Amino acid sequence: MSSKPKEDEAKKDPREAVDRSCCGPVLFLAFSAVAWLLVYSFFALLAGVKVHASGMMADSAWLAYGRIQPASLLALQFGFLVQLGLAVSAWILSHRGKTVLVDGGYLVFGGLLWNAGVTLGFIGILNGNSSGLEGLPMPGEVLPLLFFGFVLVGLSLVQTNNRRTDEEMSPAQWFLFAATLWLPWVLAGSYLLIHFFNAKGVVANIVDWWFIHNFVKVYLTFVGLGTLFHFLPAMTGRALAGRGFAQFGFWVLLLFGSMGGVGPGAPVPAWLSALSTVTAVFYFFGVIAVWVSLKRTINGVTAADSSDSLAYNLMRLAAVIFVTVSALNVFFAFPGPGSVAEFTIYGPAKELLFSLGFVGVTLIAALYHVFPRLAGIDFSPRMTRIQNAAIILGVLGATLPAALGGLMSGDAVLGSGFYFASVGQLLLFVGSLVLFVNLLGAVFFAMKNCGCLSSICCGIKKKEAGT
Amino acid sequence: MTIGLSFLCGLLASSVSYFMLGLWWPVALLVGGFAWLAFGLLDVKMNSTFTLLGGMLLIFCVSLSAMVLRANDQLSGLQFANTQDEEGTEFRYPVPLLGQARYGEKIYKASGCVACHTQQVTHESVELDVKAMAGEKNHAAAQEAVSRFYRSTGRKTSGGAALGLPVGEWETIETGLNPADASKARNFLAAAGASVDVQVRFRGEDLMQNEHSNPEGRGWGRRRSVAQDYLFAEPPMLGSVRIGPDLANVGARHTRDALMRILLNPRIIRKDSKMPQHRFLFEEADEGEQGRHIIQDGDKAYKPTADAEALVDYLLSLKGANYPLPEAPVNQPFTSSLPDPAPAPAEEAAKTTQPVEADK
Repeated sequence: MSSKPKEDEAKKDPREAVDRSCCGPVLFLAFSAVAWLLVYSFFALLAGVKVHASGMMADSAWLAYGRIQPASLLALQFGFLVQLGLAVSAWILSHRGKTVLVDGGYLVFGGLLWNAGVTLGFIGILNGNSSGLEGLPMPGEVLPLLFFGFVLVGLSLVQTNNRRTDEEMSPAQWFLFAATLWLPWVLAGSYLLIHFFNAKGVVANIVDWWFIHNFVKVYLTFVGLGTLFHFLPAMTGRALAGRGFAQFGFWVLLLFGSMGGVGPGAPVPAWLSALSTVTAVFYFFGVIAVWVSLKRTINGVTAADSSDSLAYNLMRLAAVIFVTVSALNVFFAFPGPGSVAEFTIYGPAKELLFSLGFVGVTLIAALYHVFPRLAGIDFSPRMTRIQNAAIILGVLGATLPAALGGLMSGDAVLGSGFYFASVGQLLLFVGSLVLFVNLLGAVFFAMKNCGCLSSICCGIKKKEAGT
Repeated sequence: MTIGLSFLCGLLASSVSYFMLGLWWPVALLVGGFAWLAFGLLDVKMNSTFTLLGGMLLIFCVSLSAMVLRANDQLSGLQFANTQDEEGTEFRYPVPLLGQARYGEKIYKASGCVACHTQQVTHESVELDVKAMAGEKNHAAAQEAVSRFYRSTGRKTSGGAALGLPVGEWETIETGLNPADASKARNFLAAAGASVDVQVRFRGEDLMQNEHSNPEGRGWGRRRSVAQDYLFAEPPMLGSVRIGPDLANVGARHTRDALMRILLNPRIIRKDSKMPQHRFLFEEADEGEQGRHIIQDGDKAYKPTADAEALVDYLLSLKGANYPLPEAPVNQPFTSSLPDPAPAPAEEAAKTTQPVEADK
């Protein structure tokens, strides 16, 4: 795909040309991400209900709790978070670099491959072909598909970043660039070690823990932080304070986020658990550095443009959740508190709070800012209010009671926290349904107004049929 | 970057290379100094993709080698170990899955049992009790050794053995010692010529219940799980959340019939069970069909499919946390209080030293 004519345009009116180049591919990724969020929240709700009503749908192997629960997590992590992360990264990298998105077609094609991979993995788990591991529950065969899909999208993002107008890279660009490269590396590494070299015994689990630790502590964190590092200064109209802190944070988070994730009593050599504790403590220094930088940037100011105030407030909430969960992580990384929390439903609840409450909310807020600029039409304000309330309350409601209940009642016991969590899941489902309908409606309205969407409308229609 | 921040980076680099990568300390210092210089004096700018990419590749290699490859080096050589069952019959452990159990493992994997059940028994701590017996000849020396032990570990020297060791009788020196203190007590007493007896107790919610030493035990295994247990698991389904009980030792806890009923409808066994029913592993029995395998649930009768049989075969094969291994011994009571004829002194000494060393 040649981008010459677009570049000439960019000189005349950079922002508009940048948005036009992003429009199709970014909206395609964002739309399929939101569709996967809907899939996630539906299946998570179903999984919760199955715990309360043990005889419900017991005749169907496809809907066993042990199948829909990992499948729903796959939809959340690989379907929703990664795709929306890529969409937002593409927009930020081209905006920060003041350059058009290079080869946006790769984004669409890579996105299609990625969606095919997630769909096959999702169906594979429901069908009983799960790999039995927790970080990478999908059948091993879909991993190459996911890898190539991501690499295609990544190629476009890396090229866009290389063609940036200013030589200087801002922290937002470091974080997003690093995230874009990091996930394919760990994905390929884990695939090769587990499925190609057939890691024996608990080595397979160690690789799996290594993957999920890298996925959460490096990939998701970096996407969330990169988005915050772009939007918080941009929305307040201030320059980012404390670039040195951000730099320190970047390297510390990368170094210590890439190792660890082994629980205190795991049946592996004891140095692995000790290493995990050490890295968790050092990782927190990176979190503090990043927090100082962000805090000094936004201290005492509100969004410069009132239309951004919603996204801005959501991002501030997400930043608070990020720091809170990170502080909890350090506390529970020590063997004493760690063995209290180990195996309880505190663990998954905290993971959900981190991935949806921090990364998910950040990316949704970014979508609120990006979407009107790309589609030329805003979301319906009333539905936006409903979906925000439902998603925020849903995330908190699904995680906080479960986490507290898990800590209080211990493992192998389901306290009443689980019942409250289902109310949260229900709210989350309502919220993502409204968000989906809202986005769908806005896209349809936009297609009447804007020609740029017609090129990908076939893709969207296919996607609708698929989900 | 300021000089202070770059110094922190250097400190970080050197401590990582010394403590985690285990490099020789001058090399670690060099690495730290290099990082300090690179970030501070040479002022590496984070503006080129090359800088970022270089740093990332370095960190990726460190992460992969420090965590994954090192663990693989350590674990890939695991072989069979000798162990014994409760009756004392020796066998080679672990036993590969036999018959339908291998297929049952696939059913376990496909049904996602790992979402609610772990297969790893943990322990919280190990405690050792020490007893000693002194003869007339070495009584004074043994008494001195006991006081020396109490002084060196900062214990109160009143009451119990401190008042005086009886001659020719076993006397408890101390209970609930950690391995380091226990080996100290053993060394002092053995040097003074007294006979020493050590009891090893493992504590932890997951282990067998014992009124005195482990009152909170849930009886999920006799010892903690170690990497050796999963030599033949494809893959080991360790799990990270316990919504239900741990299954590492389930084969030793339940019978075939009980497991079948739990799979069909757990509330037949436990009224308040939260476990989902797995009716898809069963089919309705024909009218008038009789046999042990028929399960009544309410007004319907079910019989297990081949999948259910295989799954239960697999579950019954899970007995890993039962058999002692050198790196994961089970509780060892005082040999002196066993009803059996006392073993020869040399053998006894070997037995008492073994667990202490194994836990270091």
